[in-house]
Amino acid sequence: MPVRNIIQIEDIHKSYGNYKALQNININVKKGSIFGLLGPNGAGKTSLIRIINQIITPDKGTIKINGNILEKKHVYQIGYLPEERGLYKKMKVGEQAIYLAQLKGLNKIEAKKRVRFWLEKFNIENWWNKKIEDLSKGMAQKIQFITTILHEPELLILDEPFSGLDPANSELIKKEILDLKKAKSTIILSTHNMNSVEEICDEAAIINKSKKILDGKIDELKNEYSTNRWKICYAGNKMSFTNAVWGGWKLESHHSLENGTHIAEIELLEQLKISDFIKGIVSHVEIQEVARKTPSMQDVFLNVVSNE
Amino acid sequence: MSFLGPLLIVGFIGLTAVLSKGKKNSYEIIVFDEAKLFDGVLRNNEKYHLKWAPEDKNYNQVQEIFKSDENLDLLLYLPSNLIKTNSMTAKCLYKAIPSSSAQKHLTSIINEAIELYRVNQNQINIETYKAIKTRVNLDIIDVEDPENKNIQRKGIIGFVFAFFIYFFILMYSVQVMRGVIEEKTSRIIEIIISSVSSFKLMTAKIIGVGLVGFTQFFIWIFVITVTSVLLLNNLVPDIYSSTLQSQNPLTVNTGESAQIIEFLLYKIHWPSMFIFFGVYFIGGYLLYAGMMAAIGAAVDEETDTQQFLIPLTIPMIFALSMISSVIDDPSSSLSFWLSEIPFTSPVIMLVRIAMGIGPSSVEAWEIILSVGLLFITFILTTWLSSKIYANGILSFGKKASYKELFKWLKS
Repeated sequence: MPVRNIIQIEDIHKSYGNYKALQNININVKKGSIFGLLGPNGAGKTSLIRIINQIITPDKGTIKINGNILEKKHVYQIGYLPEERGLYKKMKVGEQAIYLAQLKGLNKIEAKKRVRFWLEKFNIENWWNKKIEDLSKGMAQKIQFITTILHEPELLILDEPFSGLDPANSELIKKEILDLKKAKSTIILSTHNMNSVEEICDEAAIINKSKKILDGKIDELKNEYSTNRWKICYAGNKMSFTNAVWGGWKLESHHSLENGTHIAEIELLEQLKISDFIKGIVSHVEIQEVARKTPSMQDVFLNVVSNE
Repeated sequence: MSFLGPLLIVGFIGLTAVLSKGKKNSYEIIVFDEAKLFDGVLRNNEKYHLKWAPEDKNYNQVQEIFKSDENLDLLLYLPSNLIKTNSMTAKCLYKAIPSSSAQKHLTSIINEAIELYRVNQNQINIETYKAIKTRVNLDIIDVEDPENKNIQRKGIIGFVFAFFIYFFILMYSVQVMRGVIEEKTSRIIEIIISSVSSFKLMTAKIIGVGLVGFTQFFIWIFVITVTSVLLLNNLVPDIYSSTLQSQNPLTVNTGESAQIIEFLLYKIHWPSMFIFFGVYFIGGYLLYAGMMAAIGAAVDEETDTQQFLIPLTIPMIFALSMISSVIDDPSSSLSFWLSEIPFTSPVIMLVRIAMGIGPSSVEAWEIILSVGLLFITFILTTWLSSKIYANGILSFGKKASYKELFKWLKS
């Protein structure tokens, strides 16, 4: 039976002196998915990422890649873009990218071919002989991204890949991440940018104060944390709407459009069901739309982190 | 730096020779010979041109003449009592202080003139006197090895080698430190160590820079040899020309330059000097480079390195300052210990080896022990340094204290 998970993190613990950075972390990352690793600053995300990259070793626990215990040889299957990143400032773009690709196991000829391909793809082939110190921060970030994916890693770990990028370049990188997913790469994305998590991630885990507090599919997480809030668009009189059903609900917001339509946001309390509420108002106002308000990942994140 | 360094060294030696050419090359000297004994006896030549003061003038008047005549450089006053005993004093008045070689020349011609005067006075045949006059050289010879003599002179060569090994070890180990700091400040370090282990990266950097060091060392030797032959050949003999001119006809010509050449060519065992330079450079460099890499990893920028660099470089500087004591007594216990302690041995042992391998300076077992200790210490310090390195390279934004370093060592 083929292995479904590319990464299995099992009971990982890591301490620095008396400080516990990670406790009992268990996470599975499915092959070909984009996995969001979320958590406030200092939660332990970077420690976990460093353990997967074999930069540091855990005090306890194991990590498996494709069902095998993680070993040094697996570095060639992993691409890593750290949050604290940079390149040799005095080195030229071309030679630097080739050097980093060679460190990831490519031979020089293949590395050169791939660097050329990516520079052409990003329309920056004339940067080959430019020194990094002569590039802007955004330009250097592009090169950094290219050097991360040159060896076509099976697993790509991106720590805050959008930081320091302008919206256009953010979109470009986002598109590349989705293309890499199509090409069967798995991506672990550590970020504070919740919009991008919602847009591109399939699954996510939230780590807070060194422990995993939540993980699952994005939709399931949002549903799990959804409250009983509804958006109702109607035409008619506001008083008729608010007086139609007595008790069991709360009006969160209300505003009226120029065409006579009203948009109300309500929260149903206790046992009142949406069908009962609609039955109650349907004879008083004309209902145009009823939709459940699902929480954003931002809401989910803030909710779970603040409850900890 | 590979070519510029040796060219600068040769260039400065050449410049010294050229500048020496521009220095005062002749002196106009007025001689006030109070007893009028030395006219024709005092040796005159083109460089030190002697002119007798008018006979009717006294010392004060001659001083006035000396002061007023711009062409005169020196006034040599030979008082009448000069020949009475063997320890009288002549005087030389100057406007601009004469060089020490000019002072030596004047002393020698006055002594020579007094000797000639006394030879004549005592009616001694000049040839007999020449045969009697001697200049004794005391050769300090090893009883076990008669070829091994005057080893203190060889210490000078050891000093040159010691200076170069100090220079090379420090230069390349600091280069390792800078490389580490660069990787840390540019933040590329985390990308590199996600591909190779931190220990591998540190040792690869040390070996890489070391090989650059060796390459540059050979380039230095090549460039210095070639440029010395081409450039200095015509310039250097001029430095010694004044010495040659001031040779005393009464002294026995010992052929000093020939002796120096013979000494350099045959008395110094160059193969062992170069082999041990290589061995101690490798050992010393590896020892210091590992520690420098740890320092580079512990700091965020180069300005923070000072507090760690000083204790590291002091042993080497101390070793340099102790070279003269080692040359003075190469088999003393001070020399022994300084050439065994790994932090000073690369510098001190080269001085002792230059002075000859054997009982008079350094025994073979001492060298073996010293090299062994150096390499064992290198392995130990590199192991400890790698712990600091592995922790330090991932610690951004704070300056590590000694306390922190010890914490990392224990991790």
